[in-house]
Amino acid sequence: MADREIQLMAMHRPKNQAGQRQAGLVSIVAALLTVAIIALTAPASALSPDDAKCLSCHQTAGMEKPLANGESLSLHIAGDKFAGSVHGMFGCAACHSDIDVAKHPGDAKPIASKRAFSIGRAQVCATCHTDQATQWSHGVHAALVRDGNPIAPVCTSCHSPHAVMKGAAQAMETVPCKTCHSDIFDAYATSIHGTLRAAGITQAPLCYSCHGAHDIKVPTAGAGLKDTCFGCHKDAVAKHQIWLPNTQLHFTVISCPACHSPTAHRKVDLMLRNSETKEDAVRPIGVPEFQGSPDGAAGDKGLDPATLFTLMQTLNRTGVKNKTSIKGMLEVSSGVEAHKIAAASEAIKNCATCHKAGSAAFQSVTISVAGSGGVPVHYGITKDVLHSAFSIPSIGGFYAMGATRITLLDVLLVLGLLVGIGIPALHLTIRWLASRPTDKPGKPDSADQDKKEG
Amino acid sequence: MRRLYIHPLLLRIWHWTNAVGFILLTLTGIQIRYVDLFNVVSFRTAVILHYWVGFIIIGNFFIWLLLHLFTKEARNYHAELNPVKMFKGCLEQIIYYGYGIFKGFPNPFHLTKEHKFNPLQALTYQIVMLVFVPLQCITGVLLWDIARFAKVIDVLGGVRVVDTVHVLIFTVIACYIPFHAYLATLGRTPMEHIKAMVTGYEEVEDDAPEHDEKA
Repeated sequence: MADREIQLMAMHRPKNQAGQRQAGLVSIVAALLTVAIIALTAPASALSPDDAKCLSCHQTAGMEKPLANGESLSLHIAGDKFAGSVHGMFGCAACHSDIDVAKHPGDAKPIASKRAFSIGRAQVCATCHTDQATQWSHGVHAALVRDGNPIAPVCTSCHSPHAVMKGAAQAMETVPCKTCHSDIFDAYATSIHGTLRAAGITQAPLCYSCHGAHDIKVPTAGAGLKDTCFGCHKDAVAKHQIWLPNTQLHFTVISCPACHSPTAHRKVDLMLRNSETKEDAVRPIGVPEFQGSPDGAAGDKGLDPATLFTLMQTLNRTGVKNKTSIKGMLEVSSGVEAHKIAAASEAIKNCATCHKAGSAAFQSVTISVAGSGGVPVHYGITKDVLHSAFSIPSIGGFYAMGATRITLLDVLLVLGLLVGIGIPALHLTIRWLASRPTDKPGKPDSADQDKKEG
Repeated sequence: MRRLYIHPLLLRIWHWTNAVGFILLTLTGIQIRYVDLFNVVSFRTAVILHYWVGFIIIGNFFIWLLLHLFTKEARNYHAELNPVKMFKGCLEQIIYYGYGIFKGFPNPFHLTKEHKFNPLQALTYQIVMLVFVPLQCITGVLLWDIARFAKVIDVLGGVRVVDTVHVLIFTVIACYIPFHAYLATLGRTPMEHIKAMVTGYEEVEDDAPEHDEKA
């Protein structure tokens, strides 16, 4: 694998080192001066003479190496930062043992790209940070890397290896997640969680509190979100049971932010899942609606109720071992909105917000399957599926009183009431007409004839 | 005219409890399902009230069941096993309601202590009390705590299926109740049968037999 080949860092001499090529006294003096400067500016305990030797070149600003794909890899190391970092005490060779000082930099090997280099170096990190590397390999970031995602983070994406500071991921100012997830972090920073954290309340969660530090999980996958929230809010069930009928059901089909991010846009996500294992199903093969790029479009595009019905019948045809069902969830429409958690007093408590026809929460619908690392992949589906009689067998597991009622049942109820009230009214009218005094003589008195009705 | 005691006290209590309960369940049920159209109390109050009244109606159903399992009231519900006889009786009653009553013809049914329901009534009440009400109670209990009964609901096809059955039965009952109330006014006076369900006594002709001729 090319990545392994690039583990040996091949370094080029800096462009401005012409002076070092000069022989004689001048170069020796310059080298000694450089070492002396490093020794004076860096903590003596952190950097050994060998490290200082490395830095004699690598501390040169602008030092970089051209890569095979045209990128440039910076080889500059800020000596003071490295010395002050948690790695400083181990020295350069702890991670760069692949470099043969005697031959360096002459034996530099080509590097394909910055990305390839970063992925390769992750194996070096794993030699000491075994647990973290194992955790990372189980997380969503690793799954995305395996899928070839070009920006999914590896070790060095979050941890600057020559300036690793303890506790950086635990402070809002330095948490590395916001480098990529800046929009989500901004939402978090204004939420009740972020506000409390910024005020110095360390019990308030930061990114890693909910998502893990290395085994990054998507909380919306499965029951993860609820468990994550309950990790701190242990009395959540009891507090909701005081006022919320069918609390457990609400907790099963509604994500916490759907009510606790009161300004968020909500949507219904219908997740295809294995009926036996209850795990999210993977994308059905050969189904046109699940081909191509998912766009998560909701509203008027995507699967219609009849097509969904046919799809479910096909997936569950006779002879298929793993039956597929649909689990519906009321969620917020984006990760950004999921982080806009407000104070409990601002959460939605009015049942009619959702439980009425035309509720905004049920105007957007997606259908999803499991993607890399459990991240749901959303496809478009029309909102009509929530109101169609076709959906009774298709999405039998998701129903919100009032909001997702089946239109055909409304029609039947109106007809039933019309019949129930209309026929007695008509009967009464005919009786009244038939019993008028203008009736022909000789008609028997009906009042004498009635015996027992009811 | 003489009075015939045909509605025992327990039956009357059951009947009026049912009547009030059905009205409350209908009103709260309509609010729960159509809060956008009918919003009298808070949604939560409607839901809680629907639950409580539902359980009262379930308890009431068992009172009715025990009453008919262990007293002579059951004879009013004895199924007519001869289909020809059953349909003939029902048809006579339908013809009377649909035609004879307008012409002033006599009611083909005569009340006795053993048979206080005409064939159409007996058939209707059997279907309502032995099919619709139990099904409505069962689906109602399942919907009351969906998480608790998740496995049963899954086997039945999901909450949407259970709700659909609940709403369909409500539609049938909502259609039936106005018929029931209207037919109750077709006595000698509009209030005759309604009063009888309060006092327990129906008035019959002096020469009308108190018991079935076979009895």
